[in-house]
Amino acid sequence: MKRRLIALALAAVMVLSAAGCGNGGSKGKTKLEMWCIATESDSNRKSYEKAIADVTAAHPEIEFTWEAFENQSYKTKIKAAVAADEMPDIFFTWSCAFLGDFVDAGRVYCLDDEYKNWSKELDVKMLTNSTYNGKHYGIPLTMTIVGLFANMDILKQVGYTEVPGTYKEFIECCDKLVKKGIIPFGCAGKETWCVTEYLESVIEKSAGAEVLNDIFLGKSTWNNKDVADAVDTFQGMVTKGYFDPNGMALGNDEVKANFMKGKYAFYMNGTWNCADFANNADFFPKVKVAEFPVINADKSQLGQLIGGPSDTLAVAKSSKNAKKAAAFAFELGKEICHYGYLDGCGLPAWTPYYDTSSVNALTRSVADIVANSNFMVLFGDTAQNADSANIYLSYVEKVYGCQIDGQGFIAGLAKDIK
Amino acid sequence: MHNKKFIKVRDITLFLLPALLLFVGVLIAPILMSGYYSLFDWNGMGDRTFVGLANYKELFTSIDINFLLALRNSLLLAVLSVFLQLPLSLALALALGKGIKGERLFLSVFFAPVLISTVVIGQLWLKIYNPDYGLLNSLLRALDLEDNIMRWTGDTKDVLWLGNVKIALGAVFVPTLWQYVGYHMLLMYAGVKGVPVDLREAAMLDGASSGQVNRYIVLPYIKPIIKISIIFAVTGSLKSFDLIYVLTNGGPLHSTEVPSTLMISMMFLRNRYGMGSTIAVMLIILCFAFALLIGAAFRKED
Repeated sequence: MKRRLIALALAAVMVLSAAGCGNGGSKGKTKLEMWCIATESDSNRKSYEKAIADVTAAHPEIEFTWEAFENQSYKTKIKAAVAADEMPDIFFTWSCAFLGDFVDAGRVYCLDDEYKNWSKELDVKMLTNSTYNGKHYGIPLTMTIVGLFANMDILKQVGYTEVPGTYKEFIECCDKLVKKGIIPFGCAGKETWCVTEYLESVIEKSAGAEVLNDIFLGKSTWNNKDVADAVDTFQGMVTKGYFDPNGMALGNDEVKANFMKGKYAFYMNGTWNCADFANNADFFPKVKVAEFPVINADKSQLGQLIGGPSDTLAVAKSSKNAKKAAAFAFELGKEICHYGYLDGCGLPAWTPYYDTSSVNALTRSVADIVANSNFMVLFGDTAQNADSANIYLSYVEKVYGCQIDGQGFIAGLAKDIK
Repeated sequence: MHNKKFIKVRDITLFLLPALLLFVGVLIAPILMSGYYSLFDWNGMGDRTFVGLANYKELFTSIDINFLLALRNSLLLAVLSVFLQLPLSLALALALGKGIKGERLFLSVFFAPVLISTVVIGQLWLKIYNPDYGLLNSLLRALDLEDNIMRWTGDTKDVLWLGNVKIALGAVFVPTLWQYVGYHMLLMYAGVKGVPVDLREAAMLDGASSGQVNRYIVLPYIKPIIKISIIFAVTGSLKSFDLIYVLTNGGPLHSTEVPSTLMISMMFLRNRYGMGSTIAVMLIILCFAFALLIGAAFRKED
């Protein structure tokens, strides 16, 4: 009997302590968890680490934990978590259709009330891509565009001291490079989003930004002759040997490393790369960034860009502390933006409140390009819903692999995207 | 009397209940749920729309999804597993089962790939296949063979083992088959070692050669293990996922797509949970069907 009583008492202690552990964090702190993609190799890692250190130091009442996952696997993980309604309190997401699916499912906390406290520092225009039915659901971090990065040491070998400004000069430059045995473009065919960085720029500068934007937003069909012609122009670059033939088997990290080693003259990719380029003392003096030249001046013009504020933080509706999480996420977003801009990971979505003179020259060039822009089309795989985006990527891969031409591209997409 | 019978039934039920609940909860319920979800057009988050068997129809007719290509790739892997991987495993098991010098060392060496994480193996083979600095292309260059292979593959700079539609599937199959040779070898080796010594000795005394002993004594003895190996190899091929996901993720141009990679793509990239569930159901049906067919084929032979 005595043993039984002791056993019961021990069991009661264990149950009570277990219940204590699960209730609101240690020493009465509020527990908040965040998932993001700022892995060790991600350009944004340092800005996340610094921002988290600052914000957690300012909020000792919050017990904050965070985990970072690799970009591609994160897309799977966050969707599975949303489907099961088991998201962390705060999570990284891409704006537009990616976040839109979660909002439609009713899994995201509306940030309208909390935004009122931050509206002076965060322009409402920056929330456009994460606003659904007039309500705000996302906190933008940095803004990035697709940039044409050029290795000037290589361009000098074919007689160029500046990035060619017109399409005619650009093609002449590429031809000279090919003739000299230098590969003009590095592009990771293994990761189709890298191909879109080239293709979307070519379409935008041929058919016009408005046409591409309307197609991505579902306002018009893919069945557009100008788009087909632009795709043929892009494919012509592939067949003329402008792209690394090995690119089909390479991932983006490998291609970027090759560009920094001087294997390619140009690398079209997101301007978040400025941080990594600036951190490489040997490579940084050689690299310049420019806007892709206009192909058809009747339909497009300089200042039409691919990109916009896409990297976003959102708060789970299921969070037990959603209100506190929203306030914490805004503060964190502001600081990630602050450090991200100083590091060169992107342009600030928030109004800078700090000295920006230390921002690297490459990022400042990007800022100049954006300052002169008049139209931004968000990345195709972010702007479209998941199903359409993946059908689109599948056709982009076929174009890059020369399995279909421009007509096949527009006809296939017009048929398959509902 | 009646009471005793009732107590017996009650006790049996009570003892079986935990295992039964676990079996139903972990295996049967998810299968039934997948079957249920396969009847809906659903993105996994929002409202579901009942579509009946439309997902099944689309799965077999849609060029965009191209399930038949994925299925063909899996079946090809199954055929190669049965006719390449298993004979190699058997040969190794028979050779080691004889008790050769260094038997334990060889056993460990052949079994090592099974112990290594598939992701690590994938990373190793990515390095081997890398077009620029990969071990394979470096070897071909050293032997002056790369140009000959490029003429055949149509590559212009280096052989793109994982980037060329013509050869990517074969390149993915090599490590997939290699990884599990040791696994099947170990199963068969255990069987070979279980053959009674007196049976072998009796055959040898009657003048049987080593090959004849293997053919008429060992192989019939380990037949149940061979059957299990074939079932594992075929169902494993149909379910193959991890190594292909790491090496190519179904690319280039879907040439290395298998049903499992297609299912992941449908569910988590395209947000088509209904269609993903349909592929899951088809996989379950195929795995059961092949296991039953192989079992029936062996019973017929017996």
